[in-house]
Amino acid sequence: MGDDILSYNGGVALAMKGKECVAIACDKRYGVQNRTIATNFTKIFQYSDHCFVAFCGLATDVQTVSERLKFRTNLYELREQRKLKPVVLYNMLTNLLYERRFGPYFVFALVVGLDPKTGETYVYDSDNIGAVSDNVNLATVGTASEYIFGLGELFFKPNMNSDELFEATSQALLNGVDRDSASGWGAVVYVIEKDKVTVRELKGRQD
Amino acid sequence: MDVLNPMTYDAEEDQLRDRTKYSQMDKHLIPVEFQQQPVSTGTTIVAVEYDGGVIIGADTRTSSGTFVMNRFTDKLTQLTDRIFCLRSGSAADTQAIAQVVTYQLDFLSAEMNEPPLVRIAANCVRRMIYQYRDDFLAGMIVAGWDKKLGGQVYSCPLGGLLVRQPVTLGGSGSTYIWGYLDNNYRPNMTQQECYDFVLKGITLAITRDGSSGGCARIAIINKDGVERIDVLGNDLPKVFDL
Repeated sequence: MGDDILSYNGGVALAMKGKECVAIACDKRYGVQNRTIATNFTKIFQYSDHCFVAFCGLATDVQTVSERLKFRTNLYELREQRKLKPVVLYNMLTNLLYERRFGPYFVFALVVGLDPKTGETYVYDSDNIGAVSDNVNLATVGTASEYIFGLGELFFKPNMNSDELFEATSQALLNGVDRDSASGWGAVVYVIEKDKVTVRELKGRQD
Repeated sequence: MDVLNPMTYDAEEDQLRDRTKYSQMDKHLIPVEFQQQPVSTGTTIVAVEYDGGVIIGADTRTSSGTFVMNRFTDKLTQLTDRIFCLRSGSAADTQAIAQVVTYQLDFLSAEMNEPPLVRIAANCVRRMIYQYRDDFLAGMIVAGWDKKLGGQVYSCPLGGLLVRQPVTLGGSGSTYIWGYLDNNYRPNMTQQECYDFVLKGITLAITRDGSSGGCARIAIINKDGVERIDVLGNDLPKVFDL
């Protein structure tokens, strides 16, 4: 696998938009270069009722950044006495990452969210030093991101309902990770709608 | 070179030799983003003798770094009618060796007017690996059936060793299943028991090793011929869900 730090642990995540729903999915592998150690390492974390973030890259930084972000969002909710919005969460995350501009964390992030009143959807991605992106239809991060991007673009249609969105996201992820030896071993997909969040675990190829 | 003590390792000469190799020049000429990782059959390969023949098996993944170049490779390469080799290591090196040895055995069988012995095939492979031991990255297993000694398995690992073994493993995935072999292999197993042993071993290695994956290809070689079985992903035996 070489000495590339971002493929040391491997992993991948994908986010896609639908009509008043968003989906975010990740694989479940935790490995050290060639060796797979566990298949229950999900990379998606919840920060509010309808705000989720996925981190991909070095596993230690996945854990550290997600916990440090949780610390900041907890304080925000205590001080402001209101729930986080996706845009606020995204800005907090990019700020956290840019603080370490010259000694960065090795994680790339995806932020997804939904406004339950208006149904507006948000999908953003960020590199490991906090570069901001636009609100996009489709975003992927991780070692298999190029393979999943291709499939995601193929399966994406504008204004999908939640079932179609789930199918498109899971097929793009499951088939994309087949071409990467550092990701896979199962997947988990979150579909976020105005009134509910559905979590589904996919079995997939265990190789 | 130290004239007085010629057996001393000379670091400068070694570095010079590396730097002037064509395969190493890419590292200095091509920007890092465009450098390709060598294509390797990461691999798990298994071979076991039973009374009357041999059963050989391998996974089907070829990778270049982390990119999976081929999900359904055939690592069971036929050298003669009843002799196969299993390839692990650099894909280019092992394919070249298999090609040359196939030719050598074809020529030999014309000279001797009978099929070559498995040991001869294994020796041809071993000779190539030993001769180019500083350049090749090839770990191969040669297995087959001949009239003289029946089913035989020979291991030809990296440096150019040749050793006959009743059962052997190879490739990066093999590290995960040596314990399984020690626990589950018994001498004088039946053909079906050997088949199950090989298939389970490959499945266990595929589950743990990133460089092994895909499906399992198995071949049963005996005096009646070669039976090839491809066990696709869904049909692999169930192992503990991590």
